[in-house]
This record gives sequence, C-alpha cells and structure tokens, in this order.
Amino acid sequence: MPAVQNRSPYQSNAGDKPNRGPAVPLEAYESETISADMVFRDGAMASVLLIEDDSETAKEIRAELGDRGYAVDWAADGIEGLDKARSGEAEVIIVDRLLPGMDGLTIVEALRSGGMRTPVLVLSALGAVDDRVRGLRAGGDDYLTKPFATVELIARVEALLRRPADSRDTVLRLGPLELDLMERTAKRGDRVIDLLPREFRLLEYMMRRKDQVLTRAMLLEEVWKYKFVPQTNLVDVHMGRLRHKVDEPNEPPMIHNVRGVGFILRAPA
Amino acid sequence: MFAASDLSSVRLPDFARTTTFRWAVTVASAFLLCTLALFGFVYWQTAVYVMNRYDILLVKELQVFASNTPERLLQEIEDRLAKDPERIKIASLFGANGSRIAGNVETFPSGLTPNVPTNAVVVRVDSGLREAQKVRLATRSLPGGENLVIGRQIDEITEIAQIVVRALALGLLPAFILAILIGIVLSQRAHDRVLEVNRKIQRIVAGDLRERLTTSGRGDPFDQLAVSVNRMLDDIESLVREIAAVGDNIAHDLRTPLTRVRVRLERGRAHASTLNELRAVVDQAIGSLDQSLAIITALLRIAEIEHSRRLEGFSQVPLGPLVREIGDLYEPIAEDKGVALQVESTDEATVHGDRDLLFEAVANLVDNAVKFTPEGGHVELALHHHNGQTQIRVKDTGPGIPEIEREAVTKRFYRSDKSRRTEGLGLGLSLVAAIVKLHGFQFAIAPGPGCTVEIVCPQAR
Repeated sequence: MPAVQNRSPYQSNAGDKPNRGPAVPLEAYESETISADMVFRDGAMASVLLIEDDSETAKEIRAELGDRGYAVDWAADGIEGLDKARSGEAEVIIVDRLLPGMDGLTIVEALRSGGMRTPVLVLSALGAVDDRVRGLRAGGDDYLTKPFATVELIARVEALLRRPADSRDTVLRLGPLELDLMERTAKRGDRVIDLLPREFRLLEYMMRRKDQVLTRAMLLEEVWKYKFVPQTNLVDVHMGRLRHKVDEPNEPPMIHNVRGVGFILRAPA
Repeated sequence: MFAASDLSSVRLPDFARTTTFRWAVTVASAFLLCTLALFGFVYWQTAVYVMNRYDILLVKELQVFASNTPERLLQEIEDRLAKDPERIKIASLFGANGSRIAGNVETFPSGLTPNVPTNAVVVRVDSGLREAQKVRLATRSLPGGENLVIGRQIDEITEIAQIVVRALALGLLPAFILAILIGIVLSQRAHDRVLEVNRKIQRIVAGDLRERLTTSGRGDPFDQLAVSVNRMLDDIESLVREIAAVGDNIAHDLRTPLTRVRVRLERGRAHASTLNELRAVVDQAIGSLDQSLAIITALLRIAEIEHSRRLEGFSQVPLGPLVREIGDLYEPIAEDKGVALQVESTDEATVHGDRDLLFEAVANLVDNAVKFTPEGGHVELALHHHNGQTQIRVKDTGPGIPEIEREAVTKRFYRSDKSRRTEGLGLGLSLVAAIVKLHGFQFAIAPGPGCTVEIVCPQAR
C-alpha cells in the first residue's frame, strides 16, 4: 500500500514531515523536532469564551483547550454568546461564523462598537477569501476555516493571547540572536548572518513572536500574505534555508520544528 | 344567459384554436369587407352616372316637346309611346285643371318642381290596366296652362344592383370559403408541428436528452426556432454530461482517500499492538482525510472564482513585482529539487485585476512546472511584451502535455497522469483557467518540447 503522498494543507498531525524532501534535508534537524506538548505553554487558567452551536465540535474544543489549562466557557447561540462576551471575563473569544439567533460577525461588530477590545478568533465553514476578509473587517483578529486541526486552533488562541507589543525598538534580541531593523542586518553572537530579504522578513516575524508556536498557515498568511494553500511545502523549504543560516551545526538550535504543528523560535537552552 | 354559457363552453376543434386559423379568419373577413365596400362604391358610381344621363336626356326632351305647337305636341307624345315597345318611356299632357289630355300617366303627379327630374311612382294606363311603375320624371308648364310630363322607367338601375350582387356572390363567396379552407389547412399544419414539438419536449423533459426537434430544411422561422432549441439542447446535454463526469470524478477522488482511511483504521484496530503503531495508523488516516478536504476546498475555490463578481474589487496590478516575488518564493524550492528557475521580466506592464488571484494563478503555474520538471531541468518564468500584448510565460523541460490533452487539462479534475500516482489534486490548471477567464485574459498551452503555458493580457498598459 502506498504511503500517504500529500502534505496536509491543514497542518495536522499527519503533515509533520514534508514528504518530498528538500535538498537541505529536514532530517538533519530531526533532533530539533520537539513535540507539541512541550511547547504549548500552560493556559494558566486563561479564560476563553467559545460561541459555537454544534455541541460535538464545542465538546472537542473545550476538552482540548481544557487539557492545555484554559478555562473554557461555552455559549451555544449568538444571543447568549453576546451576553457572556459583554461581561468581559473572557481573555479570548472564539466565535462561529454561522450561529442560530445571531450571525457570528454581528456579535463581533456589536462588541467592537461597544468599545470591547478582547481578541476574537472567527471560525467558519465558509472558506471563501472574501468571507475571510469580511470576518477580519468586522473586527475579528484572526480567521480559521473549518475543518481545522486542534493544534492549529490552539496556536491561534495563544497567538491572540500574546499579541506582540507594538515595539518601537529598532533592534530585536533573543539570546545570542540580534536583528537590526534599520541596518537590515542579523547577528548570532559575533557571527554575522547573511540573510536574503525574504529570510530577514521571516526571521523578524519569528523574533516578534518568540517562544510561540507558529503554524505553516499562520506563516503563509502573515509573512507571505498568501491567501491560499499552496501544493508545495513552501514554508518548510524557506524555513529550512533560514534555519541553515541561523543554527550552524556546532551551535545549539534556536529554530525548532514542532511535530505536527509548525515552528518555534526559542533562546538556546 | 344559457346560450351564452353554452357558447363559451363549446370546445372548438383544435385547428380553430390556433393563431394561424384566427389570422386566416381575420384576413378573410377584412378581404370580404374591402370587396363589399369596393363593389358598393362601383354600384353607387354607376347608378349616379346612369341617373345623370337620364336627367340630361329628360330635360332635353322636355325642351324639345315644349317647343312644339300643341297639335304637334300631341303627335309627338303619341309617337314617343308608339316607338316604345319595351314600355320604358312615359309621356303625358295634363290640362290646367289636372285632367289628362294625352299620354300614359293616369294623374298628374303632385309636388314636383318644374324642370327638375325627380323619382316618383306613377300609374300607367296605356296597357289597359292600371300599373304602378317607378320612374324618373320631369314636368313643365306650357304657355297654355297645360302641364307636360316626360319620364322613363328606372328599373335598369335595380338591374345593375342585381348584377353587382350576382358578381359578388359568384366571386367573393368562393374566395372567402377558399381563404377559410386555406386557413384551416395552414393552421392544421402549424398545429401538427407544434404538437410534434410538444411531444418531443415532453420526452426531453422525461429525461431523454438525445431527442432533437425535426427541421424541414426550408429555413423558415419555425425551422430557425427548432435549430435554436436544438443548439440549446446540445449545450444542456454536454453540460449534464460534464456534471455527471465531474460527479464521477469527485466520487472517485474522494472515495479513494476515504477508502484508504477506512481500510487503515480497520487494519490498525485489528493489528496494532502498541500505542505508537496505532498512532501511526491514525496519522495516516488524518492525512487521507485532509486530502479529501483539500479536494473539497479546491473545488469550492474554483466555483467561487468561476461565479465571482470580484470585478468591483479590481485594481491596477503591476505585473513586474508580482512575477519577481513569485520567482523569489519558488527559487529555493526549485533549487532544492535541482531545477534551475530563471526569472525574466522585461515588461513593466500594469493590468486591471485582483492581485491575490493573479498571484495565485502564476504561483500555481510555477508550482506545477517545478513539480513536473525532473532534476537537472530548467523552468523559466518570463514577463514580456510580444505582438503588442503582455504575456506571462512559464516554460519547463518536464514531460509536457500531449496536444490532445491540452484543453482537457483546464477542466476540473483532469490529470495527465492517468494512474493518479503523481501528487496533485488535478485542479491546479482549472483554477488558473478560472482566474484567467475572470480577468478576461487568455490562457494558452503551447506545443512542446516540455510544457509552455502562457497568460496573455491584451489590455495591459
């Protein structure tokens, strides 16, 4: 029986290892591959409000977020959801696009017009690009198309909880790594890293979100502004290049492959 | 009341309910009315003419008679009546007291204006019997106080009327009946054709899409209609076939991975002895599910673009930076695969379009080219100006696309590799085709060697 030949476009567990190996084999970094459980921070009782009408889906999401230490409150329809959201207890709100009683986007608009800044993740079975744009325009902070891998959802929720401060620093630092945004130069310790503009852009994004799991879909959307799922393992190849330059063989690794999820940039242990 | 309701419920024969028949009746009736009016006019004109001539003659005769001496006048009256075996003429002389002196009129008709011919009914006395007759008369008073009456019978005018009516009956009635008969025949034929079309349409509605309307080959409007309907049926038939084929393909492309999931899960459940083995099975199953979902996503995406009205979201897109960015994006991928990717952009054209979609289309072409070009091969992404048009060309040294398959590859689900072992959803080129079509550009697959695809943007500036 032939092995599964397709990389998952949803960054699920199955899509961990890109199957058509790039010339810089990711296997060389196999030791840097870490499991998702090790990198997702403990939710530390961060409270999440889930507004989702399908009880099965809601149950799975609650269980998954609960396992990661989040306190999840659940509303099954739009009206109850809006009430709970207005109470202001939630630190992140996950809202389904199509709800009985009230449209998901209406809730977001109502919250935003009420001056509420709580980050919102919009879930939708409508995958159209236009729909995504509408979701973000209504005041959503992120948009995730159903079906999704649960790790993708968790990565997004974490990203919303730890939105990068609007730093005015012109030099970003993480451990020995230093990125000068004015000079467009990168250094690891004393070693100058020669980066192509596209590599610089990727590393800058990762440094602004250090210690945070970044999924392939997030990187495609945010770094490359890609609005579709490419058939090729674009992210892996580009990440391989960057990692090759950032982590030399004799240095402790900083860019890690998170099994089944994506990548993370961390200071060397 | 009853009569009216009975009439309305009377069911006319089929031919009588056709438009053709109603038109035939209308035209025949109009013809009838026109002919009647024409004949009536002819009769009227003839009668007026004949009457005028009588009147002129009467007035002249009156003058001639009056100018005679009394003796000669009596003689003349006698002569006039004697020379009239047909008994058409009238002549009489009455005394001043109204008594008849000579002639064939019993009494002097009263109320006549002298010298003006007038219609009147008089009683003739010359046949020995009193006989009323319709005549045209003129009177005149003579110097001796007598009154002279001259006239003639006007039955001829009635005869003319009879001739006219006979002519009408002989000519018009058959013509009218013929028109109605032709109307019946024509409407029967039209009715038969409609009936036949209706029968065929019923069959088509019942699901027989191969049925076609018959054409007589005369090129009349009815034929033209049949040809149009047949062309429409051709389109519908091919669309239905296409949908059926797409349905089959969807079923195939979704069933294959789903069957794999099922088999794996079943086998894993039966045979996996460690947690890791089970996990491997589940991972594979999720992979197959993702593949199925990706197919659905791609199909929805193509449908979204094909039915898109994004034109209002269009803006000016410079193609140079777009092409260079795609080159930049795919360069490491090509390099990893040992394929040389050469980007060449000599044209700084700007098109009216959706940047994201154009990016997706070109990226798809490059993605395909890199994927299908073997190691050591060469992929060229070029933006250039050619024959007054801006072209984006992606050329590779891969296996190429056989000529007979060039159109088919832009259809949903087509894949050159029939065995379906090559990775790819078979939707890439149809997505590109949909995006290109939305922009009003042209998409061409040029002959080999290798594969050369071009997006031609005619209105680029």
